[in-house]
Amino acid sequence: MITTVAIFIPLLGALLVALLPDERRIIQPVALGVAAVPLALVLYIYVAFGSNLDAPALSQSYTWIESLGIGYRVGLDGLGFGMFFLAAFLTLIAVIAAWDVQRNLKQYYAILFLAEVGMLGVFAAQDLILFYVFFELTLIPMYLLVGMWGDENRRPAAIKFFIYTFLGSTIMLGGFLTLGILAGTFALEELTGGGGLGRTAQILIAAPIIFGLAVKVPVVPLHSWLPDVYLSSPISTNVVLSGVLPKLGTIGILKIAIPLLPQGVEPYLPYIAAFGALNIIYGAFAAFMQTDLKALVAYSSIGTLGFILLGAASFNAMGLNGAVLQQVTHGLYSALLFILVGIIAARTGTRRIADMGGLALSMPWVGGLLALGALAAMGLPGLAVFVSEVMSLLGGFDAHPVQGTVAALGVILSAMYFLYMLARTIFGPLRRPEWQGLRDAGPAEMAAIVPPAALLLILGIFPALLVNIQRPAVELVLSVIGGG
Amino acid sequence: MEAPLITADTLVALIPEILALAFIAVVLLTEVFGSRSPNLSSGLAALGALALAGSATVLLAAGFEGSFFGDGYVVDGFALLFKILVGLVAFFSVLAAARWSARTGDTGEYMSLILAVALGASLLVSGRDLFVIFVSLELATIPSYAMVAFDRRRRESSEGGMKYLLTGVVASSVLLYGLVLIYGVTGSANLSEVAAAFTADLSPAALLGLVLFLSGVAFKLSVVPFHFWTPDAYQGAPTNAAAFLSVAPKMATFALLLRVLIEGMPETAQAYTWLFALLAILSMFAGNLFALRQTNLKRMLAYSSVAHSGYILAAFAALTGPALETAVQAVIVYAVAYAVMNLGAFFVVELVGEEGKSFNGLFRTQPALAVSMAVFMAALVGIPPLSGFWGKAWVIFATAQAGAWVVVGAVIINSVLSVPYYFGVIRSMFFEEPAGVGPVKDGSGALRFSIYAMAVFTVLFAFILGPLVLLAQAIGL
Repeated sequence: MITTVAIFIPLLGALLVALLPDERRIIQPVALGVAAVPLALVLYIYVAFGSNLDAPALSQSYTWIESLGIGYRVGLDGLGFGMFFLAAFLTLIAVIAAWDVQRNLKQYYAILFLAEVGMLGVFAAQDLILFYVFFELTLIPMYLLVGMWGDENRRPAAIKFFIYTFLGSTIMLGGFLTLGILAGTFALEELTGGGGLGRTAQILIAAPIIFGLAVKVPVVPLHSWLPDVYLSSPISTNVVLSGVLPKLGTIGILKIAIPLLPQGVEPYLPYIAAFGALNIIYGAFAAFMQTDLKALVAYSSIGTLGFILLGAASFNAMGLNGAVLQQVTHGLYSALLFILVGIIAARTGTRRIADMGGLALSMPWVGGLLALGALAAMGLPGLAVFVSEVMSLLGGFDAHPVQGTVAALGVILSAMYFLYMLARTIFGPLRRPEWQGLRDAGPAEMAAIVPPAALLLILGIFPALLVNIQRPAVELVLSVIGGG
Repeated sequence: MEAPLITADTLVALIPEILALAFIAVVLLTEVFGSRSPNLSSGLAALGALALAGSATVLLAAGFEGSFFGDGYVVDGFALLFKILVGLVAFFSVLAAARWSARTGDTGEYMSLILAVALGASLLVSGRDLFVIFVSLELATIPSYAMVAFDRRRRESSEGGMKYLLTGVVASSVLLYGLVLIYGVTGSANLSEVAAAFTADLSPAALLGLVLFLSGVAFKLSVVPFHFWTPDAYQGAPTNAAAFLSVAPKMATFALLLRVLIEGMPETAQAYTWLFALLAILSMFAGNLFALRQTNLKRMLAYSSVAHSGYILAAFAALTGPALETAVQAVIVYAVAYAVMNLGAFFVVELVGEEGKSFNGLFRTQPALAVSMAVFMAALVGIPPLSGFWGKAWVIFATAQAGAWVVVGAVIINSVLSVPYYFGVIRSMFFEEPAGVGPVKDGSGALRFSIYAMAVFTVLFAFILGPLVLLAQAIGL
């Protein structure tokens, strides 16, 4: 019940915000309040049920269509909890970071909350159809957020995003429906282990499901919608777009493809690992080539998503734990970097790396946190991304040595381009004299950038805070796939 | 053995139709003798539609069943469900047509045409005799020619009506010819006796009869390659007429087709399922590909209706073996889902205008209307949790159970193919700047009520779904 409330509170919030007068000083506090509720509930769940996510208070099961086994089934598990938290957390950050949304703020928030319903729902859904419904519920809100509030290139970007991801998810739906029809139910719990399907059937069904999820992640070479969309979006949309949405795809692989079709996924594992490594290498090289700071962050984001694939494809405890955790840490660092890039672009009027330099002199907080985010992204020990990347890498290397080795090269590359970026942007002498007086992050901006940075630190030092929660679920998956 | 042709039960069975007929008479007579008040005529017509739906609901709830007129006319749960749906569609169409028809000055005539089509459709779903079926189908079709041509101020309306009439008459002849051949082969017009003669091994004459019958029906359903009248007729027709005609008669025709195939030719399924698969795939692709090029929204929705006929027809490709029950469910679920989203889309066009650019910036000028239209467009694409998604899901369930994987693939590809044109409308409404004055506001209360009602049904369709599927299971066929 608590989970259902947390999922649907933003829907009420969307209606509430839509009814208020469109004035920033009224809308923003209300929106903050709305966004705080799911986050507060998640924190309460963490404290009260952290060791016992199976508690009946958290789950609900109501059969909708008896004959086909479709139902409203939600509940939290270790695989989804971290992202459930992150979706609530980053929506709040996105509400704060909406300072560059100049007009129609209340509509912006209403649509953002609608997307939040879908995001929270995906991570809690325990039914295939319900999962798909929540999955697609994010689609139109995201299309509208990009298309209405993005930059001058927003319209083609928005429709491209929509068509690509809708194509992917529709193909995925084909796999879902076939699986449910053949197995006679859509409940994840009953489908775990294959729902009685043979190996060949599982292999055939896994293909469309993995393909559809791969578009959402996106897996290179299905990523061509991503740069346009990321570059056109307002900062606040970037936060959820890069922090949460790719995880709709990865959670599908971790929570649906692997436990439901263990034998079906198995033959694809080397390829999933290879595409993971490709993502890492391609993302790193592409980021290297960028002259635009935001594009660099976007490609780096594609790259580090590869670790989730690599870890998931390992089929061992180390790799799977790393993959589940990497979903959260990736979201934290990419959200942080996108906000900082937005602040820098707004202050200096440019996103060209070559034009910048010495920004830390006038904006110590912005510069410092940019360094922190970049160091986290390249996997510096002590920061959260390090933990999950190393776990994914070790697990992946164990199962797929070649792919693991290639992925490790990517880590070195990412260190190179991030250090290069930092050297050109925040260090060195100030490029333009008028930048002497650039204002450092104000209170609102600090409120948006400090929490994710702090979480990167905290989780870097105490990864057990999340790993302990996800471990039982990962072990459950391992028992299904028979690995160890 | 010889029972009297008409008993008390017969009258009870015909209550919905008798009520509809009575209201047609009352609407016409008040127009002749009473005041020519448009509001009175529309109100009476709305009541008539509700009476049709309401009395059918009562019969359904009371569990009334039986066959009449020498087993030529059957009242069962299946028929009653479709009578209710037709009545409700007519009700909302009357509301949506009230403002427009008041301006023509002939409200009574127009409203009685809507009710007459509903009456024909309501009889049609009960037909178990080939000739009852033909007569009811004509009763549903002939008033619709007049509806299309009703707007005398616009040339396109007469033109569309003329095209519709000419092609429709040809279709009816083909259909009749098919029925006669079936009658000739089987020696009976009754479906249960037709079933005895229609075995897996068809004689050439029987096959020809079947093909001609299906061609005639395909005409009425605007299924490719018999769809070419649709865009002209819908564009020419008054928008609310296009809304009503794209839903109510088609719904009833799909129901009729189900009855004829399941009751009359169950053993011939092998001969027609592949034919439906082919027609469905052609319709989906042709409808969606032609719709991509349209700038006129009525024309676009006309091609979209071709595509959606294809989606429903896809379920007919699964009318065999274990998938049969799901296929019947799929037709029912899709028909209801399509009714709410398509009526809604046409109603918004009625209010805002049929040119694509009149939708520019609608979100700024009329947010509630724009959000409703966005809901209809997204539903037509098949985005969950809106109505169209559930329709497509059920079609895929049925075709997957029947193992018709090519059809499953075609449904999936076409969902994506349809995104650009439906989302073109959303883009104009949300991303463009308002072009000029927004839609006229005065006197559109009933129309707006219909739009918002359809939007609510479309959004909350998941809650209708459970009861609807249970009902479909209970009534069977």
